[in-house]
Amino acid sequence: MFRSRSWFGGGWGRPKNPHSLEHLKYLYNVLSRNQTVSEHNRGLLVETLRSIAEILIWGDQNDSSVFDFFLEKNMLSFFLRIMRQRSGGSSFVCVQLLQTLNILFENIRNETSLYYLLSNNHVNSIIVHKFDFSDEEVMAYYISFLKTLSLKLNAHTIHFFYNEHTNDFPLYTEAIKFFNHPESMVRIAVRTLTLNVYKVEDASMLAFIRDRTAAPYFSNIVWFIGKHIQELDACVRNDADHQSQNRLSDLVAEHLDHLHYLNDILCLNITDLNQVLTDHLLHKLLIPLYIYSLSTVRKPTGGVEAIAKALNQKLNLNESSSSSNGGISHEPSTGKVSCVVALFLLSQVCLIISHSPVVQTLAWIILKSDRSIYDKGVEKLLEAYELEMKQNGKKEEASGSENSFKDDVIEEHKNITDEEKQRLAITPTESESVSEKPFLETVYNALDCSENDYAALFALTLLYAMAYNKGIMPDINEQVLRPKKTYTSKTLSRDVRYTYNTYLVDKLLYIVLLSCQPSCRVRLVTLELALKLLVQLVMADGKSVLLESHKLTIESAKTQSTALLRNFYKSEEIFLDMFEHEYCDMSKTSLNVEWLCMDSAILLPPTGTPMTGIDFTKRLPCGEVERARRAIRVFFLVRNVVLTLNGELETQLPLTNPQSCVQIEQALDLSISRYNSDLIACTVLWKDGTKTRRFLVIDVLQLILVEPDTKRLGWGVAKLVGFLQDIEVTGDKDDSRCLHITIHRPLSGTTTNRVPLLSAKFVFDDNIRCMAAKQRLTKGRIKARQKKMQHIARLLEIPGQSGPPSPAFVGGGLYNRSTGRGLRDRPFALSRGPGFAAPRWESPPGVTHRTDESRRHRDSDPKILKKEDRTPNRSRDSSSSRTKSREGSPRMPRPRSEEIPLELIKKASNSVIDMAPKIAIVPRPQVKEESEEVEKKPEEEVSISSEETSFIASERRNSKKDGNVETV
Amino acid sequence: MSYAYLFKYIIIGDTGVGKSCLLLQFTDKRFQPVHDLTIGVEFGARMITIDGKQIKLQIWDTAGQEAFRSITRSYYRGAAGALLVYDITRRETFNHLTTWLDDARQHSNSNMVIMLIGNKSDLESRREVKKEEGEAFAREHGLVFMETSAKTAANVEEAFINTAKEIYEKIQEGVFDINNEANGIKIGPQHSPTNPSLPGAGGAGGSQGSSCC
Repeated sequence: MFRSRSWFGGGWGRPKNPHSLEHLKYLYNVLSRNQTVSEHNRGLLVETLRSIAEILIWGDQNDSSVFDFFLEKNMLSFFLRIMRQRSGGSSFVCVQLLQTLNILFENIRNETSLYYLLSNNHVNSIIVHKFDFSDEEVMAYYISFLKTLSLKLNAHTIHFFYNEHTNDFPLYTEAIKFFNHPESMVRIAVRTLTLNVYKVEDASMLAFIRDRTAAPYFSNIVWFIGKHIQELDACVRNDADHQSQNRLSDLVAEHLDHLHYLNDILCLNITDLNQVLTDHLLHKLLIPLYIYSLSTVRKPTGGVEAIAKALNQKLNLNESSSSSNGGISHEPSTGKVSCVVALFLLSQVCLIISHSPVVQTLAWIILKSDRSIYDKGVEKLLEAYELEMKQNGKKEEASGSENSFKDDVIEEHKNITDEEKQRLAITPTESESVSEKPFLETVYNALDCSENDYAALFALTLLYAMAYNKGIMPDINEQVLRPKKTYTSKTLSRDVRYTYNTYLVDKLLYIVLLSCQPSCRVRLVTLELALKLLVQLVMADGKSVLLESHKLTIESAKTQSTALLRNFYKSEEIFLDMFEHEYCDMSKTSLNVEWLCMDSAILLPPTGTPMTGIDFTKRLPCGEVERARRAIRVFFLVRNVVLTLNGELETQLPLTNPQSCVQIEQALDLSISRYNSDLIACTVLWKDGTKTRRFLVIDVLQLILVEPDTKRLGWGVAKLVGFLQDIEVTGDKDDSRCLHITIHRPLSGTTTNRVPLLSAKFVFDDNIRCMAAKQRLTKGRIKARQKKMQHIARLLEIPGQSGPPSPAFVGGGLYNRSTGRGLRDRPFALSRGPGFAAPRWESPPGVTHRTDESRRHRDSDPKILKKEDRTPNRSRDSSSSRTKSREGSPRMPRPRSEEIPLELIKKASNSVIDMAPKIAIVPRPQVKEESEEVEKKPEEEVSISSEETSFIASERRNSKKDGNVETV
Repeated sequence: MSYAYLFKYIIIGDTGVGKSCLLLQFTDKRFQPVHDLTIGVEFGARMITIDGKQIKLQIWDTAGQEAFRSITRSYYRGAAGALLVYDITRRETFNHLTTWLDDARQHSNSNMVIMLIGNKSDLESRREVKKEEGEAFAREHGLVFMETSAKTAANVEEAFINTAKEIYEKIQEGVFDINNEANGIKIGPQHSPTNPSLPGAGGAGGSQGSSCC
């Protein structure tokens, strides 16, 4: 390439030091001798231009005489002369020239130098020069040059670019010609430049922008956005099969870019510009296209087009009077987009734009406007809005106390029935039929999830976005999206009555109830958002103002979600791991609606297949494991909302209370009963060959490796802690004193690659100790898991959870699930062993609730409890199956010893509430030598003595009966 | 000049880490490293050769535009590669990497190749961030890592070219939808797509429903 050749071969007297005034003088000579660009000298010219940039920057930083020379010789005029030549290969030279200018303006620190450079209008001549913009390289360098200049704009430098007298601002007017350039980087540069220009506080320049350019520029933007969303709509309509996800995601991202750009302009708070922009947005885009797409079928079709036409004419008139640039026709798109797309786009608008005049109007039109005005079209809508705003202002001035007397002072809530309350809650806003508000009606209708939740999700996002938009005044949202507070007594501020949008809450609760059905088509994200909105709707002053009837509904949703999850309890082997993982996942991040609305995937009809790459919460579950995951999440979500509404704190979750866990470097008193029974000395052989001497302590939930504390006798310092539930123990074939222990990291969801916490060989003093350790570890793991499963069972109100969990489940777990019995893989399998504690599958939708209730009723009947004794063959059955599943390992603990001993169960059942912290401090029971008979007994006692655990009896009988029927 | 592909890059990182200097060093390496001259530029383009193919790199520096959300958003989205730069002599620039990365991951397309660059490796005596730390960060977040010096030009070529190689490999694997220019990749004028529609990421449809039981 030309760059590799040496350009200074000739005896031109090139100075040795490239950074000196002499060198610039030499370069000046080169330029003046090569004023005509040709094939021969273009390389030389490029090199010269490049060197000039370098030396000028050096001069700017080190020697002012360099710059003086450059200005004195008017060297910028050479630049102009060069670029004006259209000889062969001039684009080469142009590119270098532009880059030199870029470097110059980018790196100059000395302000005077900058002023001098800008002072003789050469730069503006360069800006207006018609480069060969078809050359993408020239285009890129040119637009970068303009952008670099725009970054130098301030109240002083603006006068070099904007000429007040000639009303000329080439930097801006030239740049916005490229605002719709096919190249995205060029478009971005144009946007950057415009924002940098608007930012400059110069009244006359801004007046120029508003008067001469704003109308055409903004209407062009608005027109292109309109065109764009038509494309987007077409893409959604034609892609029910998720074939063009990429294209759709581009279109959505592009729309977001537009909105963010508009928002960035609006946020600069330039009153004049914002007025023009708001006007354009509302008249030509948001109302005619977005909002009118929400209208229902009943609407007369002719109306809108006529209005659009009239509007169009009016706007065109405006433009022709104010703009010189009328190249693009400005007809607003008369076509509408589908309701789903409109809801989605409006959500984006309300999530991104917070400029009050825009969003306030939108919210008013959606929430308040009625059919009579709506039929008259866009203009009337806006007029009505303005009128309303004026009236409101007056009303507030005139009568501050009027509102307080609007409703009669009502008596205490306790003394009135639900119906009355319901009636009272209905305020004038709602008593007018919703159907009189065409847009709100559409939004509400979209909330119907009986078929699917496609549109419902967007209705929710829109309502949510309006509720949280800072630009929307509270008075518009009040009652519709926020509880309304009324003082019922004039004197006492305590007498407050809250009302809320019962109609909407009904709708939301219906979504929640639907979500709790086994085979519903409501996605998790829809449920989460519905719940979020619900809380927003009914929480006032930090507490819930939910009516009794609604309270009952949400409680029954909770019951149903619990029942739904009960179906999966133990039906999946990895239930515990899933349960904890989902909890961890959900507590880590809460739903971000703005991010949700950035995802184009939700614009396509909901699907179940994970092959689309759509996030789990944004699609329907696929397969049994995902259905279980979904049930877990529904349970958590509903539970959490019920707690919030009741003003309670979560005390049961997570299953592991981190406070009760031993931490690394914590000193432990190993003489207390909690630890001392299980101190086994061992040597840990790490993978890297190092050896450490440690004592193995097996706590309730944790495995702890301690080192004796040098300060206190009988104490140890924890050097490594891991959860028993996550361990894997295998013996060593060659050495009976050795165990291989792996402790996996708890599922946190953050890291995908799960490097084990520990993976090492443990050497014990003799094989007896080794076996003891192995036994305790294996048992510890089973027990830790059992304990957690019982905890879950209590959460799920599963009767009889004190019984042993299915042995295959506990023994199997995550790490050797392949050994599980075939039955476990099929949760629908009806031939479950009689010892199976979980209730029967309750799948038929609608029936769930009733069966659940009836069981509850039956269970709480003490007579039945006493009658129904344990089935005698149960324990035998389960133990036999357990041994079967353990055939591989010869020295397994005896099956019955896995039972949870009496004291634990008692504790558990008596104090359900604070179980989590207690679990960890209960002394670890001695169970290794207990015989089967001894163990059976305590359990029997428990099942009679405690009401909760005695559920096992009735349940077991049921399941057995069912089992018999099915197997026979 | 004709090319097989054009890759668009962005350079991100705190101010003063030497982004524009890296850019200029790469696109115009004749700017001699001089002790008392810092010189950079916001845009540059250069041709490189990978696998016998001419590939043009366009590099856009996003400095000074962070104030506008719409701008950063669009930049990320339009790029096929990003150089995430920190200054090895300033610990805080390293500490901010997570923020930059989160931003990049949120706005960019998921296939964007990100290279982590510890710049100013010539200033060994003032080093505050160990090379191992950079390596560890890169490993943790799945980035390619390199220490460079815009001043001595050490590793500058490699940083840009290795990123390009990775993008090129992704194209070969069919991960990038090259017909979609929004990805920051453009096919050269004479390389009009003869094999239309390489399967894009996640575009697998068709078998919908069959995987459900």
